[in-house]
Amino acid sequence: MTTGYTAFLLLCVFIRLHFQVQKILRERFCHQKLPEKPEGVEAQHKHLLELLKRTAIHGESNSVLIVGPRGAGKTMVSLHSGLKMGLCVEMPEKKMNCIEVCLLQTDDRIALKEITRQLHLENAVGDKVFGSFAENLAFLLEALKKGDRSSSRPVLFVLDEFDLFAHHKNQTLLYNLFDVSQSAQAPVAVVGLTCRLDVLELLEKRVKSRFSHRQIHLLSSLTFSQYLERVRAQLSLPGSFPDSKFAQDWNGGIETLCEDKSVEEVLQRHFNSSTDFRSIQMLLMLCLSRVSVAKPTIKPADLLEASRLCLSDAKANMLHGLSILELCLIIAMKHLNDVYEGEPFNLQMVHNEFKKFLHRKSNSMYNFDQPVIMKAFEHLQQLELIRPVDGSSAKTQREYQLMRLMLDHSQIMEALQKYPQCPTDVKQWAMSAFG
Amino acid sequence: MSTSSVSKGCFVFKPSAKKRKTLSPKDYFSDGCEGAENSDVRFKLCQDLWDKIKTDTEVLQDELNRKILDSLLDFTRKCSSTRQHSDWALQMRASEIPTAALVLGVNVPDHDMTFQSLSELLQQSVTPHVASVQAKECGALKHLMKRVLERLMDTVVAVDDDEEEAAEQTNGQVHKSVHCSLNTLCDWYNTVTKKSNSGTPGKKRSSPVKDEQQQPPVVVIFKDLEAFNPRVLQDFILICSRYIDRLPLMFIFGIATSPSTIQHMLPHSVSSLLCIELFQSLSCTQHLATVIDKLILTNDFPFKLNSKVMQVLISIFLYHDFSVRNFIKGVQLALLEHFHSQPLSVLCCKKKDAQLNVMQLSHRNLERIKQLPSFKRYIEKQEPQEQASLLNDDTHLKEVCKKLIKDLHKYHKNYYPILSCLHTLTSSLPRYPLGKQIRELHLTCLEKNVWENEDYQSAMKLLKMLAKDELITLLQRCAEILQPVKSKKIKEALVHLEELLAKLKQLDTAAAAETSPTVEETITSPMKNLQKKTDLFQLQKTLLEMNESRRSKKLSPFEVLRNEALDFIDDLVKKHLSPPESHTLNEVCYYSSSATVRRHLNATPRTCIQAALSSPYYYLQNENLKTEDGSVSNAAPDICIAYKLHLECGRLINLCDWLEAYSTVVSAAEGNDPDSDNFGKVDDVKHARFIRAVSELEFLGFIKSTKQKTDHVARLTWGGC
Amino acid sequence: MTTVLQHPAYEEERLQRVAEQLPCRELQAGMLLSLMGEPQHYSYPSIFIYGHRASGKSHVMHVLLKELELPHATVSCVECISVTLLFEQVLLSFFGCDAASLLPRSPSLSDFVRVYRQQCSHSPAKETRYIVMEKAELLRDTDANLLPALLRLQELVEDNVTVILLSEIVWDKFRPNTGCFEPLVLNFPDYSKGELQQILSQDRHPSYSAEFYSSYINILLGVFYSVCRDLRELRHLAALNFSKFCEPLAEGKVKETDTHKLWRNIEPHLKRAMQTVYLREVSSLQWEQMQQMEEKETGALRGLSAHTHVELPYYSKFLLIAAYLASYNPARTDKRFFLKHHGKIRKTKFLKKNEKTSNHLLGPKPFALDRLLAIFYSVVDSRIAPTASIFSQISSLVTLQLLTQVSHDDQLDAPKYKCAVSMDFICAISRTVNFDIVKYLYDFL
Repeated sequence: MTTGYTAFLLLCVFIRLHFQVQKILRERFCHQKLPEKPEGVEAQHKHLLELLKRTAIHGESNSVLIVGPRGAGKTMVSLHSGLKMGLCVEMPEKKMNCIEVCLLQTDDRIALKEITRQLHLENAVGDKVFGSFAENLAFLLEALKKGDRSSSRPVLFVLDEFDLFAHHKNQTLLYNLFDVSQSAQAPVAVVGLTCRLDVLELLEKRVKSRFSHRQIHLLSSLTFSQYLERVRAQLSLPGSFPDSKFAQDWNGGIETLCEDKSVEEVLQRHFNSSTDFRSIQMLLMLCLSRVSVAKPTIKPADLLEASRLCLSDAKANMLHGLSILELCLIIAMKHLNDVYEGEPFNLQMVHNEFKKFLHRKSNSMYNFDQPVIMKAFEHLQQLELIRPVDGSSAKTQREYQLMRLMLDHSQIMEALQKYPQCPTDVKQWAMSAFG
Repeated sequence: MSTSSVSKGCFVFKPSAKKRKTLSPKDYFSDGCEGAENSDVRFKLCQDLWDKIKTDTEVLQDELNRKILDSLLDFTRKCSSTRQHSDWALQMRASEIPTAALVLGVNVPDHDMTFQSLSELLQQSVTPHVASVQAKECGALKHLMKRVLERLMDTVVAVDDDEEEAAEQTNGQVHKSVHCSLNTLCDWYNTVTKKSNSGTPGKKRSSPVKDEQQQPPVVVIFKDLEAFNPRVLQDFILICSRYIDRLPLMFIFGIATSPSTIQHMLPHSVSSLLCIELFQSLSCTQHLATVIDKLILTNDFPFKLNSKVMQVLISIFLYHDFSVRNFIKGVQLALLEHFHSQPLSVLCCKKKDAQLNVMQLSHRNLERIKQLPSFKRYIEKQEPQEQASLLNDDTHLKEVCKKLIKDLHKYHKNYYPILSCLHTLTSSLPRYPLGKQIRELHLTCLEKNVWENEDYQSAMKLLKMLAKDELITLLQRCAEILQPVKSKKIKEALVHLEELLAKLKQLDTAAAAETSPTVEETITSPMKNLQKKTDLFQLQKTLLEMNESRRSKKLSPFEVLRNEALDFIDDLVKKHLSPPESHTLNEVCYYSSSATVRRHLNATPRTCIQAALSSPYYYLQNENLKTEDGSVSNAAPDICIAYKLHLECGRLINLCDWLEAYSTVVSAAEGNDPDSDNFGKVDDVKHARFIRAVSELEFLGFIKSTKQKTDHVARLTWGGC
Repeated sequence: MTTVLQHPAYEEERLQRVAEQLPCRELQAGMLLSLMGEPQHYSYPSIFIYGHRASGKSHVMHVLLKELELPHATVSCVECISVTLLFEQVLLSFFGCDAASLLPRSPSLSDFVRVYRQQCSHSPAKETRYIVMEKAELLRDTDANLLPALLRLQELVEDNVTVILLSEIVWDKFRPNTGCFEPLVLNFPDYSKGELQQILSQDRHPSYSAEFYSSYINILLGVFYSVCRDLRELRHLAALNFSKFCEPLAEGKVKETDTHKLWRNIEPHLKRAMQTVYLREVSSLQWEQMQQMEEKETGALRGLSAHTHVELPYYSKFLLIAAYLASYNPARTDKRFFLKHHGKIRKTKFLKKNEKTSNHLLGPKPFALDRLLAIFYSVVDSRIAPTASIFSQISSLVTLQLLTQVSHDDQLDAPKYKCAVSMDFICAISRTVNFDIVKYLYDFL
């Protein structure tokens, strides 16, 4: 009786702990909250910090680009430094206020509104009408100034998705920001974040000339061991976890998991495909989702399953669900591609090819008339397994619109193997060299 | 008009006020028409006649559409009722939008009327919520949505009591497309239906079908499906299908060509959301047939068309547009022309009025009557003193005219029943010797004496081979046709016909005995198998052997009767189906100038231009432009000359040569002597005129500039002289 | 099935109810549940679910969110004519209509995010909020930033929100060229035959026993499964043919158990229906009428596709024929076909060897107006004046989409057309005016 009761209590405790685990890890994986310290990119972080300090303290304006692939931690770095500056302790009146503008601001007017808002100057602006964009911006910065230049509060602009701003109409925002950063107005620091190495080519000459060609590259030079280490770090519980015993067990479990050979292979495969931070998180998220009270630890099997989910070929999955008729059409297209070296084809040709196949065999199971074939064809197009050749206008009839097949030989064959109750003759037809 | 001003300048003289009074159609009618003195009478007649025709045709239209519309209405009712229905099969399809595919044929101009009456009927009997949209006003999805919402809610605004909220709701969503979603419609629909169920006034019309009115369907009519952008249509249907459980929608597709267009426009993913029902409207040829029956082949319109005009109108219908509307327009034109150009058309009206109008006739009009060819023929037939009195004594003439008019009306009265009799007899014959449609028979009758053309003969021969039962049925049908007519002659005829029928019948009872069966079958059987194989050769062969058999053996009493009956029919025809031209004063009622009608209804712009260019006299009526053998006199306008010259060139025309030739011709026209040295010299004036002529030709599309050769232009027409 | 759906956050019978509503989708539902995790926790910012039509994507989402009473907004992208509607619906279902009214006239993305932020600062999410987007493929057609923004909405609005995208198209086709935040991709596989059997058997006819109906479904699947796996279509077919299937029962010829007789009775009908699978030509009502008609004379099934005959005026027919000839014959062959005595053009040298693909595979070629008219005049027997109505007929043929105008509408000079009718159609037409078109077609020499 008592034992039972204690068991029950233990269970409750266990559930609560488990709840905690889920909470912590999910926040890590899903909710990109800034880690305490930037990992892997310390050098770049330091560099950026230096620049910003110069702006903040000596009030000299600066502009810099941070270039790196997605998930390399650009935002993380910049926001980190921004935060640091925001609460840099030594001289409180030099507090830098950090402004982030990102892909939401689809054109410069909106961006400017956003800036105004973030500077808390809506009421200051009120309903003034400004002649030009520049005036407006100037006014904003003016409003920030108090007294002489040295004492005015510096501003940090973080432009996320920098390349998008380059596409805005004659790049007004960029021009003005850079202009300000050039001329000795209020001290500003412009930090652009982008994943395009060629972003400078996008800039107009006048904009380019005003940009100090400073770039910080975040190219992760991650070795597999580091990668593995990171995975472990991601999964393991922090010391601050309430029940240290539980935490140790959990972390131990993680250790063993990471030692496992198969797991290592899987991770290796992922590592080769991408060293991206987020792709790992997705993988681990999938693993975590398979953890429950009933099954409190992550087994290697979970990881394998998760990676299978991540790496599964979507098109093959779709092919699996097609009707036999649609499959036949695809095979016919494949044959056409083989014969005419990937020239585009139209429905008539495909139907013709299909007819050839039907003539060769006796039973007329699949000889449907044109409209039915047309429907099947439309469905394939809807699934974007075939795509009309651009340039062939909508004016042409559908049966004559030129198409390309978006699948390759191997995919089709694989699908055929997997296909439930695939008739043998169709298989043979697919195998045969020429339709 | 002059001014006292000394300064040079241009002065505007406003036309005086009285000049600028707007003309009523009456004035348009009366000015420039023959014999203005009785123009207003004719105008009146014309108006009345046209109004009558118009109303009649509209009634006709409605009852023609009635059938299909009724079936459509039933369909809508069914759909709206299935909402509450608990039938399994219907439950399975509850998620589909009921859709009526309405196939209307290619005569697009006629469709509007159909849709008009359709939506009216729907609103009266099924649901107040009907919106009809056209392709050209919905280029994009949001436009389509907007239209549909506006139309639906506006109809409500018209019906409901509280205008303002509905009104502001609608124009709210006109301004701001935010509310342009079916959600709005659903909310609106719920409010409306609630109101109607709580029984406010405004939906009194919906009383007959109360039970459905719990959920009156929302009908959207797509007038011209073919023209819609498929993408838009698909999206719209997809959206609607999401609301089908909250909103009893239903569609009506107006299709001009064939139902398979639906499949062409909608992929399976969309068409699987619809539950399509097919409705075929009656073909426009049948439509025309009925219209002709009611409009042309009837006695209650004094105004007639002669064979040529009929020919033109019908051929326009058959060859160019299957549009009944245009056919009627053609009739209207003929009507107008007749009353406008023919002063004697005052007599083209009901018998009594005609009699009166005869008495009103002025001397000039009487003169006109004397000029009428038919009347001349009439005079020639009379004795000399009668002729004299006719020519000199107006009163006498009037009397005669009255009589003649009466005769004419009699003729019409008898003509149509007999015509239809003949048609009933012949239309069932193999190979339709006298045409399948009654209009064809009518045409032949109008042209000349029917009994003289050989088709009629052969038809009669065939009739002579009818078996008894067939003959009896046909004759009975004829009797039925003649039944209602109340004219003396026809009544007599009817009596005779009845007798014949009686004889035939009682022969039927009695005869079986004495007429040897062999004869029966020899007579009937060939006819039988003649029904089957009906190629011409066979026909003649059988005819021959019929004659053989007939010659060989003596006639059976049935044959005697049959011949009697047919002879009777024959002389009926001879008596009553003579062509109108043979009747005196027919010009009064018959409109004959087919050329005018053709020119108006079936214009040939290009030939007109070519005619104008090749023979300017035709239009300019200038004597010294008159030429023979189609050559152009060199006094003709420049463009004509240029045209004439360019006809002689090949596909590419060298401008220099052209100019040379031109200037020669023109200077010849100016009459400077051919052997003076500066003859045919190109001076600036000629050059300018030439350039102008050429550019005019280019504008008219006879030539165009070409890249192939410098200083050459390309011809755009073939041939020439 | 209770074993499949388990979650500490929700009590048993609820999950039970969910499971009942999701036959053959327990696996996917369980997956989703575990991904969503406890309501208070964060879930993955964006989840992308793809699968064939009628594989239960939106149904599963709908049932889960409804039954478990999670805060959610469901938006169908086809309905969002403008992004405004999208924003409105989301705000509406999360924060009520007053929030939606905060949006300016034509709101930008940042307006939306701003409003969202200030709203959820007032009422922060205690539970994960879900935004479900059906037909997500249409998001690609809206402005370029929308999709990336939605994918990382959680981070942008700093709220516990998850965006779930549903589509029939694989994720690879979505990825913008500069890349974006990758969602978690899930696949809903198509139903297997057994699953289809199970699902279809559920909507049985009230007046018949369950096993009877399921035997019917079994037969149905036996015929159709090979050519059609679309649940919706199969359901439609089942509804269509069931009455026919029961007929012998009604007549009392056979009893429910005698499957073989029933099979022999229904099979020909199903075979016939097979010919028009996917076409949805007939409503059930018409279908029955046809069945009766077939009792009398066994004519082939006349669905929409069968009514292809079109009544046309006499000259329109010839215009159409001429157009067909013009677009399927090479221009150089006109001489041979339409000149009365084209002396020396021998058939041998007139047929080029090199072109082996027939024009009926490649489709119609555009032709100029005057070529059409030239052929028209030589084809039609009587000689006609070039009246205005001839030209108007051409344009009306275009509006009927029997011809298509290739050149731009405002090009008056030399308009180009194409013939848009099928071979069978034109043959039917030319038969009515007894004109042997095949003799004039280059492909059939």
